[in-house]
Parts: sequence; C-alpha cells; structure tokens
Amino acid sequence: MIEVEGLTKSYGAFHAINGVSFKIDKGEIVGFLGPNGAGKTTTMRVLTAYHPATSGSARVAGFDVHTHPLEVKRNVGYLPESVPLYLEMQVRKYLRYVANIKGLSKTERNHEVDRVMERTGLEDMAGRIIRNLSKGYRQRVGLAQALIGSPPVLVLDEPTVGLDPKQIVSIRQTIKDLAHDHTVLLSTHILPEVSMICRRVLILHRGRIVAEDTPENLDSQHTLLLQAEGSSERVRELLSLVDGVTGVQETSSGHYTLNVTDDTISGQVSKALAGAGMTLTGLTAQQRSLEDLFIDVISRDEGNAA
Amino acid sequence: MRNSWAVCKREFESLFSTPVGYVVLGTFALISGLSFTASFLFYGVMSASPSTYDFPAVPNFEETFLSPYLVYSGMIMLFIAPLITMRLLAEEKNQGTIEMLLTHPLRDREIIAGKYGAALLMLTLMMVTVMLNLGIVYYFVDVEPAVLIFGLATFFLMGAAFLSLGLFVSSVCSNQITAATVTFGLFFLSFIMSYYAEEMPETAPAPEGWPDSAKTFIAHTYDLVRSVVAELPVDAHAKDMAQGILQPYDIVYYILFSAFFLFLTFRSLESRKWRG
Repeated sequence: MIEVEGLTKSYGAFHAINGVSFKIDKGEIVGFLGPNGAGKTTTMRVLTAYHPATSGSARVAGFDVHTHPLEVKRNVGYLPESVPLYLEMQVRKYLRYVANIKGLSKTERNHEVDRVMERTGLEDMAGRIIRNLSKGYRQRVGLAQALIGSPPVLVLDEPTVGLDPKQIVSIRQTIKDLAHDHTVLLSTHILPEVSMICRRVLILHRGRIVAEDTPENLDSQHTLLLQAEGSSERVRELLSLVDGVTGVQETSSGHYTLNVTDDTISGQVSKALAGAGMTLTGLTAQQRSLEDLFIDVISRDEGNAA
Repeated sequence: MRNSWAVCKREFESLFSTPVGYVVLGTFALISGLSFTASFLFYGVMSASPSTYDFPAVPNFEETFLSPYLVYSGMIMLFIAPLITMRLLAEEKNQGTIEMLLTHPLRDREIIAGKYGAALLMLTLMMVTVMLNLGIVYYFVDVEPAVLIFGLATFFLMGAAFLSLGLFVSSVCSNQITAATVTFGLFFLSFIMSYYAEEMPETAPAPEGWPDSAKTFIAHTYDLVRSVVAELPVDAHAKDMAQGILQPYDIVYYILFSAFFLFLTFRSLESRKWRG
C-alpha cells in the first residue's frame, strides 16, 4: 500500500530525511518511532502529498505522490500532529465540510459523518463548537476527519498525544480495529503503545531508518527484577539451574537483576526458589523505556556507521 | 467547481460565525450611508442655487453626485477590504488548517477560487447596501437605470480588485495583522499615487543643453512613469464608468488587475513545494 524508495527531503544543507526506504503492505499497522526531529512528520507529509520530496519516490495506494497527488489524497486519511481544526465550527458541520471536500455526495455525507462520530465516540459532541472541546475530544475530531470516506490508508501523526489514560485506551482500540480494512502508519513516542498496536516498527533517527522489526524483536533484551530473602549464594545456585537465565546480578542486598531469554520464565524462577524453601518477596518483568531502546538501537547504528 | 463552492461556503459562514462579517458589513453600511445622505443633500442644495456654487446651470447629476459617491464607496473598501482578506489564507497558515486543506483532494486553484469567492460574496452584500441607496436615487431622480447598473458594476470591480490584492498578501503572510497592514499599505500607496498623478506636469523636465537623444530618453521614460502613476491606481478607472461612460479598457483594467493577483496567489500557494 505504501512504497517508499530512497526518500530525501532537504532544507538547504539540512536533510530532514535522508534516503528513507520502506514498504507497508495492505492491512498492516506500522509504527513510526523516533526522537523529536527524526523526520517522522516530514515523511508523513511527503506521503500525504503535502510537500514533495527532494529526491526519491513514494507510492501510496498505487499512486505516485509526485505525479498523482490528487489520487493519493483521495486514498489517504491524515491526522496531522497539530490537529488543525476550524475552531469556530461545530463538530458536525466541520465533519460535513470535510466529507464535502473529500468528494462525498450529499446523501453519503450525513451517513458517513454519523458513522465516524460513532466510531470515535463523538455523538454527544455533535453540536458543540470545536473551540470549547477539550484536547482529547479535539483529537477525536481530528481522527474522525481522517476516517471520513474510509480511505484505504491512514496516516496518523501522534494520535494519542494529550489524551487521558482512558481515552488513550479507547483510541488505541479504535486504531487496532481499523486495521481490518485500513493500512495504518502511525507515529508515536510511546514504546508500549507500539508494542500494543503495531505489528511492525520503523525507527527513525536523524532522518534515516535505523531499525525495522517487530516490537518483540526490537525489545529482545528481557530482564526480571527479583527480590528474595536468604543468602545470595543459594539464590545464584538455584537460578543457575533454571533454563533461560543467562545472568544474575545482585544490585543490593536481596535485590537481583536477571537477564533472561524470555519474560515468561518468571514462573519457573519462582517455582525453583519456592521449591527450595526460599521466600520470594517480589518478581517482575522490567519494562524497558523508549529511551533505553533508542539508546540501544541508535548506539548499535552508530557503531555500524563508524 | 463543487470543491470551490465547499471552500467558499465554509469561509463565508465563518465570517458570520465570528463578529468579523457583521462588523465589516455594518461599518460599511454606516459610512457609505452617511456619505450618500450628505452628498445627496449637498447636491440638492447645489442644484437649488447653482450660481452660488459657481455652476452655470444645474450641475450634472451623474458627474457631480453619482460618480463621486460610487468612487467614494469603492474607496471605503480601501479600509474594509484588508479586514476581509487578512484572514483568508493567513489564518489557515497560522492555525495549521492549511495542512488539512492541502492534504485533501483539492486543487490549489479550487482553494483560491473558494477563498476569493467568499470575499466576493461579502462584497456582493456590501453592494446590496449601495444598491439600496441607488434605489432611492432611482425613485426620486430621473436617471437612466443603465447608469446606475454600471455604477454598481464599477463599485464591484473596484472592490474585487482590492480583494484580489488582499488575498495575495494574505497568502504570503502567516499572521493576520501583518497581512492587514501590508494590504492597507499597498492600497494607501495606490490612493496617494492618484494624487501625485494630478500634480505631475505634462512635459518632461529635461535640462537645456542636453543632447537630443538624452532628452528623448528622459521624455519617454517620464511619459511612461507618469502614465503608470496615473493609470495604475485602483480608483483611476472608476470615475468615468461610475457616470455611465463605459470604456472597454477600464473594464479590462479591473479584470486584469484581479487576474494578476489571483495568479500571484496561486504561485505563492504553490511555493510550498519548493520552499523550505
């Protein structure tokens, strides 16, 4: 659905993106991950035919963004990062306007607006002026705008920024549901979000794709945090018998960090210790933060480049 | 066409979902109504005793009342047009909604046509207030209806020219205040130019004793500058037309003026493709 080949966008001597290539198949949800200024928004703007690339090519839904921008725009629903809305308009009127400029006929428009409002939970806000809506609801109006007309490709730039936790959960679910009949490219800062929604992740750094994989594989370093009473020699001895534990460090008295091949062996760890009569006071899988992952991937990348 | 209408309708509605539309229309109706009343009454006084005002006979109605009033109404647009046009594209840029507009299946020319169309609709509403005034004239004075219609057309063409320039400035700026100020500045420059044109002597002030070729060069250059100064201002082509004297070049002037700035607007919107 999306094919990007050697895409470069330069502003003078500065390359916002530099030789980016990737491919997204129909029905995939792909996450775009990267620190600020990595080139996520720039890439998305090229894909939505907002501005052209300096070099390279991009095809969306079979159309080249440079030679057939109108066809591309017809096939893409785009939620920009800043969620631009006409603040003085009512939600329903705004969505009807969007349906209108997307080329929907008068009879389709009402139906389509009802459909997207239901999908994004905006039914109760139909008559409200957008200016008076909270950030979360504005975000939903933006998402509803992208969904109008059921475009086969959705490009969502940070769709969950500024939402409260409950809204984040519901928007994530909405996006996940969309995957049945849409191809979704979304950008985010939040690592768990990627692993929750996306099947594949592209990591951008300084305008280049530095990693491309499934969230599970990217997050391949698994760590268990263990708290146990008793002598550390005994703990180490018992743990060495458990399959999949590759290393044990005692960070402070009674606190251990375990390098494991898989998070799911925590059951075996607890069984091994409890079976030997040890008291286990805590055992959790450590969540790696996005920063850790970035540092990991980026340092790997810079190591390669050197 | 359909897309342009959608953009136009939204723009026009937003003028009236904020106070802008009402304020603009109200201010215009007030000033043009006052000036109409004042000049109509004064014309009445003048025609009652022409000799007091140095007229040999009853002064010509079209020349003494109608044309000045219509040109004056058009000149009110000088102050009002920046208020209409400043938001057209500058606000979209400021709010970021331009990104939404440009990623929907709209052609640039459809966006521009829609925006300009909304401004012209606003102008039409103003024209209606002028029309009401002229209706009173038609009721009380024996005047050719064609003259009044040309008069309205003059007002509309003047306004359309102002609006096209304003739209272009709005497309270059991303701040409404900047857009309004620059637009007003350019309008005012054009206004001042028409005064200079009257002050400029007819012949070139080439010094004696210069070679003939230099004199000819200066004479031609001076003629060119003088005619540009005289012909370029937006109100320069209105005076005759507002009296019912129809000259094709006056109409062509207004159409070309608007077309030129719409073209520049198009180029300016397109510049996002190669600018950083």
